[in-house]
Amino acid sequence: MNYFFHLIIYFDIYAIVAMSLNLVVGYCGLLTLAHAGYFAVGSYVYALIALKLHAGFLPASAMAVAIASLLSFAVSLPAWRFKGDFFVMVSLAVQALIFGLCQNWVSSDAEPGTLRNLTNGTFGLSEIPKPDLFGWQLNDPSSIAIFATAIALICGVVSGVLLFSPWGRLLQVMRDDDLAARGVGKNTRLVKLQAFAIACGMVAIGGAIYAAYVGFIDPTLAALDQSILMLCMVLLGGVGNFRGPLVGTFVLLAIPELLKFATIPDGIAANIRLLLYGLLLVVMVHFRPQGLAGKYQVD
Amino acid sequence: MQILFNGIITGLTIAVFALAYTVVFLPTRVFHVALGGVYALVPFVTWSISQRGGSTSVAIALALIVGTSISLGCELLNHSFLEKKQTGLGGHLISSLGIYIAIVQVIVLIWGNETKLLKQGTDAILQLGSVSIPMTQVVGAIAAVIVLGFFYAWLQFSNLGLQFRALADNPKEFGLQGYDVSRLRLVAFGTSGLLASIASLLVAYDVGFDPQGGLSALLIAIVAMIIGSQQSFWGALAGGILLGVTRALAVWVLSARWQEAVTFLVLALFLFVRPNGLLGRKGRLEAEA
Repeated sequence: MNYFFHLIIYFDIYAIVAMSLNLVVGYCGLLTLAHAGYFAVGSYVYALIALKLHAGFLPASAMAVAIASLLSFAVSLPAWRFKGDFFVMVSLAVQALIFGLCQNWVSSDAEPGTLRNLTNGTFGLSEIPKPDLFGWQLNDPSSIAIFATAIALICGVVSGVLLFSPWGRLLQVMRDDDLAARGVGKNTRLVKLQAFAIACGMVAIGGAIYAAYVGFIDPTLAALDQSILMLCMVLLGGVGNFRGPLVGTFVLLAIPELLKFATIPDGIAANIRLLLYGLLLVVMVHFRPQGLAGKYQVD
Repeated sequence: MQILFNGIITGLTIAVFALAYTVVFLPTRVFHVALGGVYALVPFVTWSISQRGGSTSVAIALALIVGTSISLGCELLNHSFLEKKQTGLGGHLISSLGIYIAIVQVIVLIWGNETKLLKQGTDAILQLGSVSIPMTQVVGAIAAVIVLGFFYAWLQFSNLGLQFRALADNPKEFGLQGYDVSRLRLVAFGTSGLLASIASLLVAYDVGFDPQGGLSALLIAIVAMIIGSQQSFWGALAGGILLGVTRALAVWVLSARWQEAVTFLVLALFLFVRPNGLLGRKGRLEAEA
């Protein structure tokens, strides 16, 4: 039963990641590879505040959201100027810088979490407290699963309300024809800043839940592979609507479970899973470019 | 002086790989990410043949053939079909990324995830005044110079090279003149695979190789192309050497761990300050969009 709750928690975390990435990829039309960096920012900020200031989940994750949203300017400001392949490269630069900071903000003669050894480098941060809510400590997987599902639902509602509002329609207009949106007097630059701030803040919540559940984080959270996996998830499921990213998340979690039925040894199951993702991406581009349940075709 | 030499030698191998990427990007605008897979695969093929008692020259030749064939396969089985469907550049990028992921996982499944070495024994050192260079790097640098020289001579003086430059300059106009664009695209992907295989072997003989190294090497090559110029085949050379020296300086001043961050910082600076690169000409706004 615990394994079932474990799956639910992971589904919730990745659903939050996919919904946030959908805002940028599906509604702004910008492929970003920096999302894992912001996920890691959320994890590290939560972990540091929970470990050092002994703050509860809500204030620590609120701080994670604020810092990730502030750092989102690193990708949203270049988005004013760059589109397509060049924006992908800028987002890669941001990802590399965040990964570099996570890996290198380390000093062997200082305690982890101090200014000189903030991230503890490749050793990462461990013994991160489990989430608590108004003094109620959530230790068992079932309560964490309920908690994570509630947060994912809130993120879903916020995302849905935003995307079905005039603001969401403006995002789609900007994605399809930026010049036309500006021509009718819309401030597309401000909208891009807002969209990235919301997306990065949302993915930071996913990062905070991950850190609180797993209890250990290291720089691999911010690695490029993670960004690529996140992107694969939303591209497979589809972007530009509400259900596509959720379908992508389901597929991401369903493939490893199906592989278990195929009695593939654990040692190679992860590689087979990634191989399938890769092949699925190619097949999707050829036969269903908008993804399994998406609306917008990434061009 | 030692830093400068190290930087130039590293820069030459970056330049070869950047050129491999540019050869496809300029004429087709395809982000050939699968080239990272070719880069990762080729040393493993060489290593396997060597382990089975094959001579070094046979192993290298076969690995180059495999690398070139995979790159050609990417065009024949993937990009040409997408081109016919008029798929956008994002579609090409995503499918190429998928191929890259698949190639890397096949490598891991066959050969495992460990770092391997192609060279055996210790290196002799060439002493030039105060500068010491391992012989593997000397041979690598000479090979890179020969490959680059041969490519630029072919590009500059052969009829096919002229057609290639024309295709890179204006693919639509080139097609309208009645030239066979699909044949030249195949030449581009084949040449790209060959150059990437050579760059990969040069690095693998020097520092070893692992299945995950392809993407980071490709990203460095793309950065080299962007800071060199995206409008000219010479940009890869200029960008590669500049990046090689910058990365060597980063190791000297900071630490090897900061190399990637410094590389992408240089990219960000160029994108903001000089988006057309070192050798790029400033174009009309609508041409850049």
